[in-house]
Amino acid sequence: MKLRGPFLRLALLAALAVLWAASPALAGQSDDDCLTCHGDSGLKTDQGRSLFVDSTRFTASIHGSAGISCADCHTDLKKFTDFPHAAKLMPVDCASCHDEAAAAIRESIHGMPHSGAEPIIVHCKDCHGTHDILPAKDAQSHTSPMNIPDTCLSCHLERVKTTLGPGFAGRYKESVHFRALSKTGLSFSATCLSCHSGHSVRTVGDPQSKVSRRNIIRTCGTCHTGIERDYLEGVHGKDYVKGSLDVPVCTDCHNEHDIQSPEDLGSGVYATKVAAVCSRCHDNELLARQYGLLTSRLKTFSASYHGTASKFGEVKVANCSSCHGHHGIRPSSDPLSSINPANMASTCGTCHPGAGENFSKGRIHVISEKRENRWAYTVKIVYMVVIVGLISVFLAFIAADLYRRMRIRWKR
Amino acid sequence: MEEIATKTLIRDDEVFLRMNLAERIQHILLVVSFSLLVVTGLPLMFYELRIFKSLFGFEKAFFYRGILHRAAAVILIVDIIWHTGYAVLTRRGRDNFKEMIPRLRDGLDAVALFGYNVGLSHWLYRKGILRKFFDRHPFWKFENPPEYGRYNFVEKLEYLSVAWGSFVMILSGFFMWNVDLSLKIFPLWVHDIFVIVHGYEAMLAFLAIIIWHMYNVHLNPEVFPMSKIWLNGRITGHELKTLHPLEYRKILAERQKAFEAGGAGPDPVSSS
Repeated sequence: MKLRGPFLRLALLAALAVLWAASPALAGQSDDDCLTCHGDSGLKTDQGRSLFVDSTRFTASIHGSAGISCADCHTDLKKFTDFPHAAKLMPVDCASCHDEAAAAIRESIHGMPHSGAEPIIVHCKDCHGTHDILPAKDAQSHTSPMNIPDTCLSCHLERVKTTLGPGFAGRYKESVHFRALSKTGLSFSATCLSCHSGHSVRTVGDPQSKVSRRNIIRTCGTCHTGIERDYLEGVHGKDYVKGSLDVPVCTDCHNEHDIQSPEDLGSGVYATKVAAVCSRCHDNELLARQYGLLTSRLKTFSASYHGTASKFGEVKVANCSSCHGHHGIRPSSDPLSSINPANMASTCGTCHPGAGENFSKGRIHVISEKRENRWAYTVKIVYMVVIVGLISVFLAFIAADLYRRMRIRWKR
Repeated sequence: MEEIATKTLIRDDEVFLRMNLAERIQHILLVVSFSLLVVTGLPLMFYELRIFKSLFGFEKAFFYRGILHRAAAVILIVDIIWHTGYAVLTRRGRDNFKEMIPRLRDGLDAVALFGYNVGLSHWLYRKGILRKFFDRHPFWKFENPPEYGRYNFVEKLEYLSVAWGSFVMILSGFFMWNVDLSLKIFPLWVHDIFVIVHGYEAMLAFLAIIIWHMYNVHLNPEVFPMSKIWLNGRITGHELKTLHPLEYRKILAERQKAFEAGGAGPDPVSSS
């Protein structure tokens, strides 16, 4: 390829010179004819739009190297005999060759007529480029994994308004996926295409979309196969399969575009933030009633040492997932559950080596001490009475003391 | 004649040693460890308050909080061991401890002080109400403030509170520190009680110190801005006479006896 560019340029120039000199009356339009004018980098329309075609880049492109000529795409050129030709050519119809892709686009959000005040019409060239189209495998291509984020963001950063705000798509650049792509250089890390697909991009509300609630598990599972398997075995996954839309899917806990590693402070599932994520549903009265969940999970967790320390930013203490697991959470009735009474000792033993049966002799999420730990309740009540009583006595003594001193002062 | 002898036996400006160096250091260790324990421990009771979260805002803060809390606990334990040894093994310690033992009289003193400060009985008596009752039971008249010995009921209450509080906090704290050991011995619900007790006892201790102790040794107009006994350990003859009259009279009686026996002047040893 490297050699071919300059070589071809030379060859082209030579051929051009010969043709120009030898047969000015030769009929039909070869690429060289076009480049006679369009090879001039200064060629512009009256409006100042450049009409320059970089022959080097074109010949290097997938179309150029396949021997496709200008007139194969700009089909109306064939009708012209006089040059320079009419000022405006018809738009190129990629569908004449790429009918499958074109059909997919027509079905996608990019092919839908936009209802906004400024309709945005997306053409093939907006993503793929024009004369310089390269196969996606090529690192230089606009559609190569490395370049896809910038290609999509050229519109989706500002021009396209989504319900989640204009910067929503841009947050991908904060994600661990983009990090892998840009810092580590892993071309198989997830880009826009991996989740939204290429031509058949659909809105999240569209059930056929790869990122809809119905499909997101499969989509993420394409790469995260083991996690998908765990999820489907867990209590959330089992209801998900039954068609429940209330169960959390990947994006509910991990966010959409700015997915970060759980070790990252910015992650929604960072050790100290897990409790807030889980309690979004597990402390939700409506869901609790519908599915028979126990509520006050966050409150009872926060009141424990684990929860308190976690609130102060300690990451070593247990959070929800330390005991309940994460992707494959099972109900305590399940013998495989980490919080099944039979497994409690080993679950607690992860942090508390030698944890024995005593760990299960008591409640973890204590909602009502009155019912669940009678002694603790009694102790609390006694302390309340003592504290209130003693402090009242102290204050009464202080008040009496100050009262006497005031009296003496008044008398004077 | 006796008046003159009394005056010379304890001069008003004579200095007595109320807290010796060892006692003062014990008290300072208690102040340091208690403050540290409160600052590093009490926020956990109020985990909802934003202010405490900003206190532990920096990275690893919670880890250092734990280290500090346990270090302070060790200081407190060492202090208590020292003090116990001191109270058992030294003569001064034993004498002080005997004076610290609460008696029925301390309860009566508390009632008497309150009654005297309020002045209700006195007012009733002057108005001629319930005069017969007051004549029969002069205690309830609360005519004069109670007279204290070396330690008054306030100081005894504080001392006993520290003793009880330390016992509870060290016991529950030990099992919280060694949670694995605790759960080897006790079921989880007992360990939960340790945690509850540790928090509530801390609240009690903190409030008692902030309200009761701070008033008595700092804000009380008599000593405001601060009684300096905890720093220099000194109390004058005059202060002894007004604040601890029973102790004053005891010292006086001892000296009188010595004076009558040997005719010597005031004991130079006690004043320094």
